[in-house]
Amino acid sequence: MADTDSVITIGNVLRADIRGFVVASRIPEPDVPTFGTFVRAAIQQQRADLIGLVYNITLQDDPFLKNLAVTVIEDDPRYAEIIRDQQENRAVPVEIAVAAIGYRDEDGYHYGLPPQPPMILHRITVCSKDEVRHITAAPDFMRALFDNRDVPADELIPTALQRAARLRPEALRAEFFLDAGRYLAQYLGRDPVRLERILRRLM
Amino acid sequence: MLHIERLKTDIEALSRLAVERQTLREDDVARALRWLAEAPDPATLRERLAPVTSGDHDWPGALPAADAPLTARFTVDGDPPHGTVVIGVDGSQVYPDPHAAVLYYLIQIGGLAFSYDGSRPRPYSCEALHFKDEEVYDAQGYPISNERVGMERLVQEMAYLAALTAIEHRLAPAAPLLALTDGPLLWPYVERSRSDSQAIEAYLDALTEIRQAGGLPVGYVARPGGRALVELLWAAQLAPEDVPGRLAENPLRRLTDAALMAHFLAPGERSAWFTRPSATNHRHAGRGHAVWFCYVNVGAARAPVIARVEAPEWGAQNADVITTLHAVLLHQSQVLNGYPYVLARAHEEALVTTADKAALDSEIQRHLFAQGILVRPSEKAQQKAILGKR
Repeated sequence: MADTDSVITIGNVLRADIRGFVVASRIPEPDVPTFGTFVRAAIQQQRADLIGLVYNITLQDDPFLKNLAVTVIEDDPRYAEIIRDQQENRAVPVEIAVAAIGYRDEDGYHYGLPPQPPMILHRITVCSKDEVRHITAAPDFMRALFDNRDVPADELIPTALQRAARLRPEALRAEFFLDAGRYLAQYLGRDPVRLERILRRLM
Repeated sequence: MLHIERLKTDIEALSRLAVERQTLREDDVARALRWLAEAPDPATLRERLAPVTSGDHDWPGALPAADAPLTARFTVDGDPPHGTVVIGVDGSQVYPDPHAAVLYYLIQIGGLAFSYDGSRPRPYSCEALHFKDEEVYDAQGYPISNERVGMERLVQEMAYLAALTAIEHRLAPAAPLLALTDGPLLWPYVERSRSDSQAIEAYLDALTEIRQAGGLPVGYVARPGGRALVELLWAAQLAPEDVPGRLAENPLRRLTDAALMAHFLAPGERSAWFTRPSATNHRHAGRGHAVWFCYVNVGAARAPVIARVEAPEWGAQNADVITTLHAVLLHQSQVLNGYPYVLARAHEEALVTTADKAALDSEIQRHLFAQGILVRPSEKAQQKAILGKR
């Protein structure tokens, strides 16, 4: 998702706090963002954008599908059109949880928690490649994730780093990972087990 | 707050009444089935009821529409023919709220075109925001009624169905094309004003467009109310000299057609065609779209699901098209336990959720605020919103 430059609006904010927010969405399956996708949401009356990472995706209970599940048989040609409709057309009701990593205002990008969460029902959009490159220009973007106990940071950080590295020229990727590794070592120096776990996932 | 404990006696009485009604209904069904078996042939019935079928009389019964006996039951074998296209359309609306920050109403129409050829069905939707003075106020300056919005929605639904029929016909010119709408095909509103007349004319125009585009418009009424057939059976019991004198004395007052059909039609069967001699149907007939209806059981053994299917006379008389429609309705309903898949999906495409409405209100208020206009809901609406969150 973040590897493309198409701007995709995911859905609306359902609930939010300073550390992150949850988006309610009904979008076709191919458009559902993946774990570690960089997204943004307007804050402070659209004067700034919160930047965050998708860390959980919950498929909502869907009574429509429950009904179909007991009647439709996957390989039966009598249901071919219905299965295609469900898989290719139908909006999947999902809740997408996002952890804040920083924000952007007229002065540029800032790391850490934003001054304000996004307001309810504001729209959430997948970040462009340029936006991902900018927010990950310094490893500080990981800082807010270390202390967020709701987030599987040890999985999320390597995924986000790999995603950001792929948006850089191959010649610069080693240096990017090296910078990130130094930052992690400094931050998690007192927790070598955790540090090793994250670094191993980067390999 | 609702004090359910204070309603305990009423709830118990309601349960007892339901049991009594159930017993009475079983007796009524047995009697109506006997009347059905004894009914004269359609031509005799039409002749007997001629005094009340001119359109000036308000007799609420049905007439046999064709020559099949009232006891006829039709079945269909196999799946819908390859290539058949069925389009479902449904609508939803946000009614005008005089207590809201801004007076408007919204109509959203959803549709799904479903080809029986293995291809991906095609979802469609459109929406219209109505906010001009002439749209939201009536001639006396009051906000327009919900009924008026419902009328407008019905016209837009049928116009959209006509547009989709034209699109789908271009995609598959040789395919049988069925255009389904959720609800009756017969215009359901009473004509009281000039704008009501304009609405029904626009609706009938859309039916003509569907016919010209090669489609058959069909109204699908799930869990139908009404007792037009039961009234006909009572009329069939009367001696010719008692019509119209004793038509109003039908003893089966509580029995609906659907309850009767649930005992008469086996799963998969449909009834004979009937028609209503009402003024509205005469209006339809004047434009070439007199509406016929039949009942179909789209349920299973021991779990009947009765629907009323309405089609224009010119389509209902085409045996091949009706056999295809019958097969399509059975297949579509079997998938979703008794309700056509295309209509369920059309509803989903059309639905305006509470969250959608809140987002729309927020967007409108934001744009107005940017223009320097501050609007807010009435004090009553604000207070209700607070209490509603409890």
